[in-house]
Amino acid sequence: MAKPFSALVRYSLQCAAYAAFAAVIGYFSTAPPYRQRGENEAVLKLSFSHSGQLRFACRQRDAAELAKLQPNMRSAMDCPRERAAVRVELDMDGQALYRVSADPMGLQKDGAATVYRRLNIPAGTHHFSAGLADAADGLIHYRKELTVDLQAGQVIVIDFVTGSGGFVFTRG
Amino acid sequence: MPAHTAAPSWGQRAFLALETGLNRCFGEQANPLYFLGALAFYLFWLVIFSGLYLYVFFETSVVQAYASVDALTHGQPYAGGLLRSLHRYASDALVLVLMLHMLRHFTFNRHRGFRWFSWVSGVVILWLVYASGVNGYMLPWDRLSQFVVTSTAEWFDVLPVLGGSMARNFISNAHVSDRLFSLLSFIHIGLPLGVMALLWVHTQRVPGARILPPRALMLGLLLTLCALSLLQPALSQAPADMATLTSMLAFDWWYLPVYALVAHWGPLQAWLLVITCSALLLALPWLGGRALASERTWTVAIGQENRVIRVRPGETLLDAGLREGLDLPFACRNGGCGLCKCTVLHGDVRLLPYQASALTAAERGAGLTLMCCAQASSDLAISYVPPHDPARQQPQTYQARVTHLELLAHDVMRVCLQIEDAKALRFQPGQYINIALPDGARRSFSFASPYRDGGSVDLHIRRVEGGRFTPGVFDNMRVDDVLHFEGPLGTFTLHEDSTQPIIFVAGSTGFAPVKCMVEHAFQTGMQRQMALYWGVRSRADLYLADLAAQWARAHSNFHFVPVLSEPAEQDHWVGRTGLVHQAILEDFPDLSGHQVYACGSVRMVQVAQSAFVHHGMLSDACFSDAFHLAAHG
Repeated sequence: MAKPFSALVRYSLQCAAYAAFAAVIGYFSTAPPYRQRGENEAVLKLSFSHSGQLRFACRQRDAAELAKLQPNMRSAMDCPRERAAVRVELDMDGQALYRVSADPMGLQKDGAATVYRRLNIPAGTHHFSAGLADAADGLIHYRKELTVDLQAGQVIVIDFVTGSGGFVFTRG
Repeated sequence: MPAHTAAPSWGQRAFLALETGLNRCFGEQANPLYFLGALAFYLFWLVIFSGLYLYVFFETSVVQAYASVDALTHGQPYAGGLLRSLHRYASDALVLVLMLHMLRHFTFNRHRGFRWFSWVSGVVILWLVYASGVNGYMLPWDRLSQFVVTSTAEWFDVLPVLGGSMARNFISNAHVSDRLFSLLSFIHIGLPLGVMALLWVHTQRVPGARILPPRALMLGLLLTLCALSLLQPALSQAPADMATLTSMLAFDWWYLPVYALVAHWGPLQAWLLVITCSALLLALPWLGGRALASERTWTVAIGQENRVIRVRPGETLLDAGLREGLDLPFACRNGGCGLCKCTVLHGDVRLLPYQASALTAAERGAGLTLMCCAQASSDLAISYVPPHDPARQQPQTYQARVTHLELLAHDVMRVCLQIEDAKALRFQPGQYINIALPDGARRSFSFASPYRDGGSVDLHIRRVEGGRFTPGVFDNMRVDDVLHFEGPLGTFTLHEDSTQPIIFVAGSTGFAPVKCMVEHAFQTGMQRQMALYWGVRSRADLYLADLAAQWARAHSNFHFVPVLSEPAEQDHWVGRTGLVHQAILEDFPDLSGHQVYACGSVRMVQVAQSAFVHHGMLSDACFSDAFHLAAHG
């Protein structure tokens, strides 16, 4: 059996053990640092929640169709709730940067389509062009273009607000 | 009393080597690796109490959240600043200690069998601690908070229900409202409350669980964390600003590594990894390893306690004893301190890895073992030195109602009792109870029938003329009378791990515990040869001879021999006569290879035991329960 340490040695070793514990805890509490973007990168956030157009137009029910329905359901017009998917094309400096087609939320696909995407892009002056299609025909009905100078670390947010006429570019 | 030692795995050897070193620094009774669960508890309390102080000063608003934390940190560095750092570092240390705690249990296979519940609840606690910690990083509303809330939202947004709506709350400063901080504060209180509740559940299943480590460790750890807090205070990074994103973050790798994965692998892949790891952790008790389910339960007779306890597969003797409420000596529970030594009087144990200094080869040779590392591999009989005054240990007391009285002989009454709280009473065939008399005196009677669901038991009570209790049973006791008793007591139990033929020796009402054992043997389908020799004075004393004869007719492995010592003429007895042990020796001149269970008067048992040993019976193959009639029985 090993000879026991003297009290002085034991306490010294305990101090060393506690110090090692503290060193491990303290170091990994703040280090190594985490890099969340490149030094010369800016950030683009594309984020919106938009309800597409109704996919099908309302139509008049004929008498035979109405007769098949329960009396309380006999509405003259048939208006399907399903909305069209929302398609976005985002270009930067004439190049496609991001393409997405978002389905409407909800079991009946009658809710808003939501898009969120964060992209790190090189800092500097860029020309952005954003287009959105929200109808069954798939055609781009909204488009906005903007040239902007972005510093490293600066965030540009591209939102879509129908009441504001479509795309809204916000710089930090 | 052989003890088999399990060969340690490389992981166990690593832990044992580390523990050997720490034992030399901290001593065996304050080795941090032996108290990881208790240390986690202690760190949790440090986090809670420091957090309560911080919460008093925290402002739940976008504008004030950062400012209030910064003011707390710099305005009162001696209190708020120190406690903020302590809160951070105790939380970090909690993660490390929890992971070591789980790793140690996994390495030493202490997560299988009946321990699955503690393991699974431990995994849930670990995740809740993670969630609480991550949530805490959202509150100071600095750059790291910005990163954590944004990454959390982006990570959760890949789930089908959310679909991108959560991250929209953090796309610009205008989107963040004061309500966010109320919600975050609510979660930061709710999650630790959940941890607290689960910790309680977690430790309820661990018998004798320590929730605080030794004082020396508590003091050492507190001073260490305070020193770290002073040397490297926890500070906020720059205020959160959704309009910009810093490139580098001081990062807490104890809590946040999953966010690095989310960023580099993608949120969906991170979910898959977390879910897979969680499922694997939760399933570990049932994956691979030794199948405990196929092992059986053993009994341990503890002489000085007059108790027999059951040990579950994979359970150590210490855990089983503590679960049964025994006052056992112990400290480290991990084979380090040697406090929990006991002597194995009978049976085999399997020893889990332990420190050589805790149990020397000489001690093992002398039959000593460590209860914290010993698992039963047969029925056992042990003895140990209790840590406290045995008088402090009170046996369990019960109340029972008389349901039936039947005169079996002129001086033997069958008393049937219905026990209240019957679920708590689990006895072994052969054990007895002490009926409490109004003046505090006790009278002992063996169970005459095995345990029955519903809690009814039988006693055979023999009348002792002039006694204070037994005459009343015959003269005054009525159905629905209430009795109080303590028990179950005694170590005279059937050792079912042997295959040796059994000889039961009963004297007078010593037939009661033997009847209990025999009926239990029939119920469990025991195939060993059994011979019952019942010695009484006259034929009238063979109060259940017909039952014993019926057993012999029904079971080919059972043989019944009544022996009368003083048959009366009117008995017309043609069977065996003389002393019961002499009859046995006539039939079994060589008793080696037999187990003998003797119950009767002290004189009968002593004489029989001595004679049996002279005819080859091994001393550890004779089990007896001798009774004497109380002077005023």
